[in-house]
Amino acid sequence: MSRAGALLRSFLLGRAYSFAAVLFVALMVANLATIPQFVSPANIAGTLAVAAPFVLAAIASTPSVLSGGGGIDISIGPLLGFANVLFISRLLPNGLGGPLPAITIVLALSIIVGAINGFLVVVVRLQPIVATLGSYLVLSGLALELMPQPGGTAPSWIVRFNGSFAHIPGALILIAIPVVIWLAIQKTAYYRALIAVGGAERSAFSAGVNVALVRGLAYVLGGLFAGFAGLALTALVQSGDPTLGPQYTLIAITAVALGGTSLAGGRGGIAGSILGALSIFLIQNLLSALNVSSYWNQVVYGGILVVSLVINAQARTLFRRPASLVRGPARVEPT
Amino acid sequence: MSVTAAPGIQERRPSALAITRRVLARVPLLQVAGVFALFILGSTTISGYQSASSVRSMLVLATFLGVAAAGQTIVVLLAGMDLSLPFIIGAANVLVSQLYGGDHWPFWAVAIFITVGALGAGALNGYLANRFDIHPLIVTLGVGTAIAGGILVWTQGNFTGAAPSWIDSFVSSGRETGPIPLPPVVVFWAGFAIVVTLILSKTAIGRRLYATGANQPAARLGLVQTRRVWVGAFAASAFCAALAGVLLAGFSGMGLYNIGQPYLFTSVACVVIGGTSLLGARGDYVRTVLGALVLIQIQTILIGYGFDVAAQQVGLGLVILVMVASYAREPSIRSRI
Repeated sequence: MSRAGALLRSFLLGRAYSFAAVLFVALMVANLATIPQFVSPANIAGTLAVAAPFVLAAIASTPSVLSGGGGIDISIGPLLGFANVLFISRLLPNGLGGPLPAITIVLALSIIVGAINGFLVVVVRLQPIVATLGSYLVLSGLALELMPQPGGTAPSWIVRFNGSFAHIPGALILIAIPVVIWLAIQKTAYYRALIAVGGAERSAFSAGVNVALVRGLAYVLGGLFAGFAGLALTALVQSGDPTLGPQYTLIAITAVALGGTSLAGGRGGIAGSILGALSIFLIQNLLSALNVSSYWNQVVYGGILVVSLVINAQARTLFRRPASLVRGPARVEPT
Repeated sequence: MSVTAAPGIQERRPSALAITRRVLARVPLLQVAGVFALFILGSTTISGYQSASSVRSMLVLATFLGVAAAGQTIVVLLAGMDLSLPFIIGAANVLVSQLYGGDHWPFWAVAIFITVGALGAGALNGYLANRFDIHPLIVTLGVGTAIAGGILVWTQGNFTGAAPSWIDSFVSSGRETGPIPLPPVVVFWAGFAIVVTLILSKTAIGRRLYATGANQPAARLGLVQTRRVWVGAFAASAFCAALAGVLLAGFSGMGLYNIGQPYLFTSVACVVIGGTSLLGARGDYVRTVLGALVLIQIQTILIGYGFDVAAQQVGLGLVILVMVASYAREPSIRSRI
């Protein structure tokens, strides 16, 4: 095999997100061939603004999944919707709509919600899906309570994120901040502890890792990133809408899975989630550009999702060294 | 786990708390108490709550939820989850109205068509999740979305026709079943619950399900065909969802594509409130039935107190958290080493 081939092979097998990367490139080529103008300098900022809430919701869903123990945060969608509604219906009328107070309050609140989720998971010890289902219902209810009807107008400073700042698309800035935070975290011991806890919580606990703290912080991080997603959503819709948030939950989890992050925890990262979210966005972009009816859109979307998951899993298992004597998946450990 | 006392060490008597815990792990006493407590709360604070008509309509609503959540219970016993439920409920609901009322198929043909379709979709869910070791949550979401899209493509979004009128009267809360003062569908649910419970607790199929859910490699070494168990469990789950969808057609009168959406997470909540563990192998359908009775009562009480939809949602979320926190906590990692 040529050197380039060997490099390619090691890339494909070495990364959790390699399949998502291939899928992304393929979809990008298909999109460029069909609708080349969607990434033209004039349109790129707008395109990214549409994709930003998807991407950020997927990033926000990643840490909790990585933390293992059935980790999942289904309240991410309602949280970003709640941030949007809170911003428009409460902060703006009370003179807190300026960039500094609004961003501070939205992010602080998202962190608090994340901390509550973390508390429910590691201290109250509820199954993550149940704990975050509770916050899902509470947050989507509160959003409706604050703002029964969609409405309001977002201030101009946040709408500017739909455009560009000195040729840098505003949406890219919103995505870049969580990415930079994540990259910084990857340099710390916390990240290694997170992966250890997600992969083998008992071993991590025995090795002296504070499992509860590590896992709890994963939900806090998810909350923080969801706050950015709420800002991106506000910029995109330019108003408040209590019904939008919950729709992001399942798509975000799908993007995480598509990005090669194991829903069992301990394997993956936000690079995969970003590629997964962009792939979903590109699928929908392509289907609507091809004037596929929204009905077929769902069939194709579901089909591509299932096929991608199968290919992803195949790539993973084909080249994995046999882990145990017994062939096949061991999902539940004996207790 | 059984511990044999070492010689010389006197075996300690379990404390009262330990005994209570052990009993509660086997018998859902708290859930039964919850059902009665909520009923007393409702009847003392809301006028007409305990009237026959109100109880009947609550039972009918609990039936839809309980039948849909039966499948969820089965897959949760495998430590799985089925998010295709709302899509299959919606698909069955639309199909029964469309094929029977719109295209004038005989009912038996409609029933066979829906059953085969649901079993096929469910089997696909179980096969993909088990064969490729993909988390069932994500697989069922993908398959479910594709099916829902397929229904939309086929009907072009025009839902015509209505379910057979006998289903309407079957699920009507005003009807009685001969001498039994309950709607027929509730009596049906009682029978359904007995059958599901017997299958889970008394048959080899049930044993294989619990064995696979507890420890798949061990079950395989015990010559359980675990992939078949997965395929069968998800097929059963889809069948229950389709059954709920057909029953709901009598309730909705016409095909409603979105009618299953509320069941996406409430079916999971129902299983969890009943006390079945999401980690698999612990729990049964009786618990889910109790969970459905609890959940429907909470919703009715919140409506009775005059909360709007938003406040109902907040209340439901808080109640779920409090209830689950009071009896379905996971063991600490210290005790799992």
